[in-house]
Amino acid sequence: VTLELSRLAEQMREMGQELATREEEVANLIAQARQWLTQYADQGEKLRHPAREFHAAIPTDEPLDAVHPLPAVPERFTFIAADGAEIQPDSHELAYYYLINVGAMVYRHGSGQTPEAHSRPTIGYTEDDLYDHDQLVSGNLLDIKRDLAEITCLADHCAAESPDATTVAVVDGTLILWTLRDTPPAYQRAKALDYVRQLDRIREAGTAVASFISRPRRGEVMRLLHLADEGGEVKQANEKPNSLRHLPDYAVFEMLSPGARSALFVSPSSINHEHYAPAHKVHFFYLNVAAEKSAPAIARIEVPAWIAEDSSRLDLVHGAIVAQARITGDYPYALVRADELAFISGPEREAFDDMVVSSLIRAGVHTALSPKKFYKTLTRQGKRKFR
Amino acid sequence: MSDNRLNVGRVLRAGTQGFVVGCEVLQPEIPKFGTFVRAEGVAPGSVIYGLIYNVSLEDDLFARHFIGADTPEEVVRDQRVNRQVPIEVSVLAVGCGDGETILHCLPPQPPVTLDWLTQCTDEEVRTFTSRLDYFQLILGARQVPIDELLVASVRNAAAARAENEGETFLVDAGRELARLLAGDPLRLEGLLRRLRVD
Repeated sequence: VTLELSRLAEQMREMGQELATREEEVANLIAQARQWLTQYADQGEKLRHPAREFHAAIPTDEPLDAVHPLPAVPERFTFIAADGAEIQPDSHELAYYYLINVGAMVYRHGSGQTPEAHSRPTIGYTEDDLYDHDQLVSGNLLDIKRDLAEITCLADHCAAESPDATTVAVVDGTLILWTLRDTPPAYQRAKALDYVRQLDRIREAGTAVASFISRPRRGEVMRLLHLADEGGEVKQANEKPNSLRHLPDYAVFEMLSPGARSALFVSPSSINHEHYAPAHKVHFFYLNVAAEKSAPAIARIEVPAWIAEDSSRLDLVHGAIVAQARITGDYPYALVRADELAFISGPEREAFDDMVVSSLIRAGVHTALSPKKFYKTLTRQGKRKFR
Repeated sequence: MSDNRLNVGRVLRAGTQGFVVGCEVLQPEIPKFGTFVRAEGVAPGSVIYGLIYNVSLEDDLFARHFIGADTPEEVVRDQRVNRQVPIEVSVLAVGCGDGETILHCLPPQPPVTLDWLTQCTDEEVRTFTSRLDYFQLILGARQVPIDELLVASVRNAAAARAENEGETFLVDAGRELARLLAGDPLRLEGLLRRLRVD
């Protein structure tokens, strides 16, 4: 049975109507949020402590409604981007293994040189690879391994750069290992330490570092505004419904002019506060990376404290990301390419599977797909039309 | 004249009548229309000879994004050098050999996927074109620009010879075409005009 698109037509029509109806409601909420942002702009210090308890964005010394225009960008600088992809282990496959592929691009702005394109694939198949702290590596745990592989790759490329060069290293996604949340404390500590070690290597290399999240759904600043409107009283804020709870932060920051960034905030994540050293405490800001006269393209940029507290490095991250994004229009070019270099396409996956089969046969290992996988391979190639 | 063997690309798809190879970057000399190329056959020592009849660059949505924009030089270089620009080279099979003899006929088996396709050396071109029976394979091919391919291959074969031998070769090739196209004088005239040495 194939997907019956005809059955979806009515639901599609209703979805369109629902979104159109909600638009006006969302516009009112955005207006409300922007008003609060201005109204409570100078209450950062008062809100800092309760914000942490309320899991809201934690204000820094900057006013909540601060706007920083695009700083001057150096004529020549190096932008290093990394992104990762993985093949999850599958008990229905011929063998239990996983694959992580990290793509990276080293782009030297203003040099006229061909950027360096790299990819670093690794297979995990030994007992040590497949079990981490006695936990089977798959799902979130594999995501953590991929995040570590990405930041390690970034740190390796940073270490290879001249310390005198002006370099910005950017990873796709977040600097916080969110997926550690549901793991045992000892595991959290060990993995966060591994991650922070790589941030240390990047810092030692004299490189600025950041992460880039396109159109983020986070609502931590909205929680902060709700808390502010409740006078900074956590109990009251918890009891009263938050009218902004479904509004993502980026919608409010679409008022940023092209190239401008918002105020800095500290991430309220417990992983950030319990496992990241003070120098690496993750801060974030919102940035409109769109070109002049273009529709806003808001990204969330995360930086460690040692960047947030160094205005020249913070400006470098700010300007470099906008310069990169303006090559494509609204997304850093080197990150697009890092994603492309990491991506494992269908034909590549098939070729990889063939290599696995050959190597198993050569090693004298006799195995087979699970019955479930076998029949899926029969039915999913050239899927027949319904009826 | 050159005796260096140059890699054109690796075989992507193959049949006994011809094959398609993929290559990453266009270079000044390869791949070029009408060039004599060779691939290893499946049997040990066997060789398949062919002529390049088409070079195509496939469309790419990301590269298209930068057309007309004020694109930085770094991006242009990245797109040309690093990205897997899908250049496909189509080859018409015109002969095969076992290491000792060369036959102007379709090969018994196609080359294998990912085998290297290389440009024939001048000596190989001279040996292969010491007879002109392969003309019939080109004339019988359906998917290729026949007359253009005939002219290009003859000119390339003449260029692989010393100057005076090249001229003699052109005359011999013209005679063979006259024999094969005796019933089509207009087409023959067009071909001979294009082969004429000024």
